[in-house]
Amino acid sequence: MSNNNKKWFSLNLGRKEKTSSGSCSCGKTSGGCGSSSDSHHMTDEAFNEAAIHASIGEERTKDGFEQVFDVKMDRRSAFKKLTASLLIGAGAVSTSCSVISGDESKEKAQIDWEEQFKGNYKLMTDKEKEGTVDRLVRSYQLRTGKNISMSSKNAEEDVLFGYAFNISKCQGYMDCVNACVEENNQDRNSQMQYIRIHEMKDGKGFNFNEADDNYYHEVPAEGHFYMGTQCFHCDNPPCVEVCPVQATWREDDGLVVVDYDWCVGCRYCMAACPYDGRRFNWSKPEVPEAEINHNQHYLGNRMRKKGVMEKCTFCVQRSRAGKNPACVEACPTGARIFGNLLDPDSTIRWVLENKKVFRLKEDLGTEPKFWYFMD
Amino acid sequence: MKNNINVMNKIVCFSFFLVAFFSCKHHENEYHSITDKIEAESKDYHGTSISSEAYIGEIQTIEITEGDHTFLIPERKSQIKSYACTECHSKPLSQMKSKDLKKAHWDIKMDHANANTMNCVTCHNPDNMDDLKSLTGNEIDFNTSYNLCNQCHTKQFEDWKGGAHGKRIGGWAPPRASMTCVNCHDPHKPHFESRWPASFNTQKVKERE
Repeated sequence: MSNNNKKWFSLNLGRKEKTSSGSCSCGKTSGGCGSSSDSHHMTDEAFNEAAIHASIGEERTKDGFEQVFDVKMDRRSAFKKLTASLLIGAGAVSTSCSVISGDESKEKAQIDWEEQFKGNYKLMTDKEKEGTVDRLVRSYQLRTGKNISMSSKNAEEDVLFGYAFNISKCQGYMDCVNACVEENNQDRNSQMQYIRIHEMKDGKGFNFNEADDNYYHEVPAEGHFYMGTQCFHCDNPPCVEVCPVQATWREDDGLVVVDYDWCVGCRYCMAACPYDGRRFNWSKPEVPEAEINHNQHYLGNRMRKKGVMEKCTFCVQRSRAGKNPACVEACPTGARIFGNLLDPDSTIRWVLENKKVFRLKEDLGTEPKFWYFMD
Repeated sequence: MKNNINVMNKIVCFSFFLVAFFSCKHHENEYHSITDKIEAESKDYHGTSISSEAYIGEIQTIEITEGDHTFLIPERKSQIKSYACTECHSKPLSQMKSKDLKKAHWDIKMDHANANTMNCVTCHNPDNMDDLKSLTGNEIDFNTSYNLCNQCHTKQFEDWKGGAHGKRIGGWAPPRASMTCVNCHDPHKPHFESRWPASFNTQKVKERE
């Protein structure tokens, strides 16, 4: 294939130029793989046409419904498909209606059915929220025999959560990281962590490229300082803007939350976040039964599934109950300060008004509610 | 007819003003910045129903007022094992230092400032062991020992009062309870030793190989 005829740009990093004209990338020398000799004679237009046809084919002209049903297939495979889908549907109906199967499996099927077709949490009424939380609690009980408590507590009025981080107090102990993992039932296998503590060299400023966020030596290390990052709960969050299914949003108390059951796992939000605040479940999150935190919130630390986004929620299950997030409670240095930004007498307000505070990438206009300060 | 047009005019004018008025505010980006928003929305703050009182737990607290700040700190005296000091310190200090008496407090090594600045009696009151004393000789209660620290550490004291230094007890909501100096710092040796971090992510190492 000659270079002049290429329809795409490739980098050719360390690859040898192909010299033999008779062979192509598929390795065949005769008979052709479809592109060896014909493409030379194709005009640009014809090539485009063929490429589009190959990639989307009939979908160009057919709408969704027709795409599925208006396809050529023989009678045998049509019957096969019909029977399969009928069986699935009948299975679901029969488990929930059958007289033979036990009450528990019926209830399970009923719960699964209702969970499958529930709406977006953001749009639910308080009653619907309670409903889904009750179902999830019951489902967990039926499956594991263990009781959990799950809350659907809404944002309180006159509350806007804010966070301050004292970079001259943080010693890099990482007690916060452990407390966060335990509190939020994060996957132990992939060692997913919401919080990162960056060890920065003195005199280099906030240089995240040279910082180490996975050190293991005695801390504080000579000539270094420590800076923690996590979800900053922006007041103008770019992750929310890009979500195609509105599975993530900003609550009235400023928390940016995710409905794990509505998330489709496209990871747009991960790409949109300028602070690396979001995490993705590549595998099914697993937590040893004994270590599961049973105090949960729908938008917080309830058990997630594979393929959904999650992130720091300022421990919504704790903060909405008046507790401090787990990281704040675990920090032995008092470097982490959390509170209500709307309360003029709160300690967070005192810090904002009396210390020299700054935020990361302030010029982006994301308005993170996470301030850094020094003694 | 003319009247009707007049009324119509009035309605149109009114609705125009109404739209103009509302379109300035009510939009999501109502405020220029988060600080403007905080300032505006906290003007009519009446408090919340959330309280952190339950999370203070079994810690006995006392209320203190310093400057504009009133908050709770842990009560101290009941936490000192050998309090009251006068249970042993029945005689003046010079007599207790004699060799035929049993040694006490031998395990306390002063590592706070230097010998020119501090010794035991900089803070402890040799005339009344149950109390502490300020640099000028005023009595200071063990429960409010922060008044000793703030004689030198004035900046830290300001930060502590405001809530920028030290650790909060319980939750973020009122009532505020904060640790006092001696809950974290050993007054005889106030700095912290270095230690190993609590967490190391082996998966991260693999991913970055």
